[in-house]
Amino acid sequence: MARKDLLDIASLQREEIELLLDQSTAFKQLLISSGKKVPVLEGKSVLMLFYEPSTRTHSSFEVAAKRLSAEVTNFNVAHSSITKGESVRETIETLQAMRTDYIVVRHSRSGLPGMIARLTKASVINAGDGAHEHPTQALLDAFTIKEKFADPRGKRVLIIGDILHSRVARSTSTLLQKLGVEVAYLGPGSLVPRFGPASIRRFTNYDEAMAWGPDFVYLLRVQMERQDVQFFPTLREYHRIYGITNTRLEDIRQRGLYIMHPGPVNRGVELCDAVMDYERSLINNQAENGIAVRMAVLDWLTPGGDLPKPEPAYATRSGAAPALVMP
Amino acid sequence: MILLQNTRIASENSPVLVEGDVLIVDGIIQQIGPGLAVPEGARVIDARGRILMPAMFDAHVHFRAPGFENKETITTGSEAAINGGVTGVVMMPNTRPAIDSAAVVSTVLESAKRKSRIPVYTSGCVTKDREGKELAEIDGMRLLGVTMLTDDGDTTGDPAVLLRAMQYATEFGMFFASHCEVPELAGPRALNEGVMSYRLGIKGSPACAEEIIIDRDIRLARAAGAHVHIQHVSSKMGMETIKWWKSRGDVKVTAEVAPHHLLFTEEHIGDYDTNYKMNPPLRTQADCDALLEGLKEGVFDLIATDHAPHTPFEKAQDFISAPNGITGLETALVSLYHFFVRPEKFGWDLVVKRYSAEPRRLMGLPVPTIEVGQPAECLLFDTEAETTFTKEFMKSKSQNTPFINQTLQGRVDVVILGSEILLEREATVAIG
Repeated sequence: MARKDLLDIASLQREEIELLLDQSTAFKQLLISSGKKVPVLEGKSVLMLFYEPSTRTHSSFEVAAKRLSAEVTNFNVAHSSITKGESVRETIETLQAMRTDYIVVRHSRSGLPGMIARLTKASVINAGDGAHEHPTQALLDAFTIKEKFADPRGKRVLIIGDILHSRVARSTSTLLQKLGVEVAYLGPGSLVPRFGPASIRRFTNYDEAMAWGPDFVYLLRVQMERQDVQFFPTLREYHRIYGITNTRLEDIRQRGLYIMHPGPVNRGVELCDAVMDYERSLINNQAENGIAVRMAVLDWLTPGGDLPKPEPAYATRSGAAPALVMP
Repeated sequence: MILLQNTRIASENSPVLVEGDVLIVDGIIQQIGPGLAVPEGARVIDARGRILMPAMFDAHVHFRAPGFENKETITTGSEAAINGGVTGVVMMPNTRPAIDSAAVVSTVLESAKRKSRIPVYTSGCVTKDREGKELAEIDGMRLLGVTMLTDDGDTTGDPAVLLRAMQYATEFGMFFASHCEVPELAGPRALNEGVMSYRLGIKGSPACAEEIIIDRDIRLARAAGAHVHIQHVSSKMGMETIKWWKSRGDVKVTAEVAPHHLLFTEEHIGDYDTNYKMNPPLRTQADCDALLEGLKEGVFDLIATDHAPHTPFEKAQDFISAPNGITGLETALVSLYHFFVRPEKFGWDLVVKRYSAEPRRLMGLPVPTIEVGQPAECLLFDTEAETTFTKEFMKSKSQNTPFINQTLQGRVDVVILGSEILLEREATVAIG
């Protein structure tokens, strides 16, 4: 089935994921063997629409698109978290005239890329929306894990940090579970909600989480500025309770665990400096793999299809909701 | 003169429908009985198979005027009401300007007199501009007929302000309607805190945000000797809180439930469907079940729709940007039939009591019944026909409802107010 957009991991079939990961392997080999461009997307245009500041994801997409010979345009938008849906709509209507083939979008509002996808013929790639999803991050994480374990089934990944606000936690754990990987969350009680998915173990105590026996320790970026009401008292206290300290790193080394992080890292918060030199840190691998995975995604999507109806008013979207057969 | 032949009559007192003809003369029900003679010049409506009941009354609607006429006007709102079998409404005051003074009340009521074919009442704000700070000019509004005071859309945040308002206005015989939600807990997004808020990555509003204010406002009312009416309860514990206070019997508390909170859960939001975004938010199946029990047990005195129109443009935004609200006037009665009366979850008596009689009692208005000597204010409901809620069918200026383009069993066919037939749809049953 040809897909126009990549908005989330939740709706991806296992076969689609495997195909994408296989393709990523091919693109990675291509990247290693030659620095040259490939003409896969020659004559196609990619628009980067980032409403939130981003260095890594933005440049990773840009490099990926250029390697595929696409033309990349950066649409400069105010990096404001209060850019509302209606002004985004106006922007998209303007962009329609530019006849772009792919739109890579990041926005602080969960679900906003889906709204854009309904307004445009271009393929929309969600590069992170609020606390909802970050599908290419999940793909590159899975790809990185599969480089270590070709068959990752039964492996355990412990994700530590601000689960509540993390789109990475959502996408990556959804994808890993689809591949048969077991996932657990660890963090302060206020940031690891009790109403999370039932299939994911919830820990608030570091030692109990380690006793669960993870193969990978996946650290999330922890920020204070996210918090309207404080979720924990200080970064120092967070580091003491949940951070990878020198002592804990030693324990992790002895257990032979891998450490991952989507970046950018907060040294002294979720990890200590020494983690950056840890031999089983995959943080740089993740960044490198991001390009291959994003090339695979751009190659895989099929722009076009029917534009939404001229009157999108209150369209009850197919499959969006259960049929009205209640009580 | 209107003669309704072979109808089945519903009342709030019994689930049993009584068969008969009904003759209305000069807007008064003059005769009820089998096989009434057809008087000369009478307008005869063959009501075979159709149910005659008192017309509905909605104590919670947003007609958006003044200030948001792109969403709804008194004209379109009141026509929507008629289309749904409703012949009286109470407007909420979250307009621009807010309905917080005698001047605005009189503007609204004057406008309603000219534009509406049914009585339109308005509530008034507790505080100026619904800001929760200074008291609105309460008695000025009372003199124009306002009895319900509310800052609907928001909770009156400062309990001291609400307590003072209650102490003050209770002496004038007014009562308070509370939208219950701790603002700091609820945040700006109408979404239940739980599985869906986690999945969609949007901060949710926990049910305790509602429970706390329900309890707070009832306690304040008790302290002030006031009557408090709890609006659109969405949670099981909220319902149970009201039930407990009612069982104590030492405070005057009434409560309402909206059809959408009985029918939908947070799961219906699916992939950010903004038609399911309203405040208070949809919660879980356990909440729906509890609210239905509460309705059947009488914890909820009335059903009210919280009819909240928004334009297609506003609702087509992303879920966070889209405004809160769902329309309800045109779909309420049919959906109550389709989902509850037809599968025998409750009878027509409950519908008449909770959506026609009790809301009028709350407002201190006469309650229409189908009895000789009573003014005619009634509707004919066809259980055999279906309603498809197309854009063309809807009279409201907005159609932000999950029922859009859906077909439900049942149809409001005729609406009569006094000697006037406000609505008459083509009969599906052949006259013979």
